Amino acid sequence: MRHSFTAVIEKNATFDGDFETEPYECAWASEARWFIHVAELEGDGASLSARVQVSPDGLFWCDQGSAFETISGPGMYSLAVRDFGGWLRLDCGLDGEDSRLRLMIYLVLKE
Amino acid sequence: MSHAAADIRLSRFNPLPRILAFDDFDDGLHGWCELVGNHNGDLNELQPVFKDMRPAQLSTCTYFDLGTHGAVDGTYSMKLATRPRKFHQAVAIKRLTSAADGLVQFEAWFTYKAEQTFGGDDTGARAWDGNYHPSEAHFGSFTLWNDICEGTEPRDRYHAALRYENTNEEGEFTQRWLYKTGLHPTTRMLREGFDSNQNDVHVAKPDMWAPIPGGDQQLCFNEVPTKVNWHYLRWLFDLSTRRNTELQVNDLTMDLREIPVLRFDDGYWGINRLLNLCMDVRTTSNVRNFLYLDSVVISADW
Repeated sequence: MRHSFTAVIEKNATFDGDFETEPYECAWASEARWFIHVAELEGDGASLSARVQVSPDGLFWCDQGSAFETISGPGMYSLAVRDFGGWLRLDCGLDGEDSRLRLMIYLVLKE
Repeated sequence: MSHAAADIRLSRFNPLPRILAFDDFDDGLHGWCELVGNHNGDLNELQPVFKDMRPAQLSTCTYFDLGTHGAVDGTYSMKLATRPRKFHQAVAIKRLTSAADGLVQFEAWFTYKAEQTFGGDDTGARAWDGNYHPSEAHFGSFTLWNDICEGTEPRDRYHAALRYENTNEEGEFTQRWLYKTGLHPTTRMLREGFDSNQNDVHVAKPDMWAPIPGGDQQLCFNEVPTKVNWHYLRWLFDLSTRRNTELQVNDLTMDLREIPVLRFDDGYWGINRLLNLCMDVRTTSNVRNFLYLDSVVISADW
């Protein structure tokens, strides 16, 4: 039986600017899949970017190399990641004028 | 020889005759999940205190200066982590029901830390002196608690909660064990307008905690935020008396039989024989606080 765990990284959270998700430990897993469920994305030219970041210690971060395609409306979006070491987070940018975002972010880990 | 002493993995515990759960976090989270408040499917209905209690993590205890610390045995422990925001609280829950009234015991090997910070401005008595490290003052508290409901009648439901308060709301060292003197504000109570600060899942106001007699205790923080020493904890409570029995943490054992446990005057529907066990960590600074559990044993005398 394979091990799996789904973590709700952001729960119905609202943002009006850039943000990073909380550090999440994932050393035990060899596969990860992010889900971003955008409930609301409002504002003139509003769009969300999300890059995967990794870290050796949960303190200092760099880009892993994967990124979501630019998100410009409500819906479910997903991105698979491998070879990520011990920690994962998303570095998210909210563009547009007076933009506002409400979403869920899930991290599904599997070994 | 007891059944636990004969098993090398259990011999560091002292369980009651029936082991309900042996949760070694080297092989998963064993049903410890994030606590979420009640809602009708619309998460906007979540009360503020229940909105964001964070998912538990399988941690390697890895730090920037020494790498992976690991756990008592194996590599992994369960980690609860707050956000870096004053009074944020991370809560994990394990949901069971009880087959009889009687004793229930929760045992754990645990440790706790505040996240490493850099370039702090702590001065005077709070400054690093080669032994004392200001990180210790960044840690707020951790709490073990239950949620018990025998049936649907008034006064069938209660929570016992025991808190290790390292620093108080003002961030001052107190390093003592507390019990709560106020009811846990439930979602129904909060929807009905119950007056609560909504920054502590256990109580409405910060003065609703009282010291446990003989409960002063300095734990082994070990000087810096990247050294972890594991502590033994054993909490015994009695479903037949609706009271705590005792709490042992290393060499300190507190008799809790006279400590009051408040019951709800109202009845609650659909949670007959509820036996929930919970752990949480709450920061009193703008620094992430972590509670780690290497392993847990839940046992009963029924």
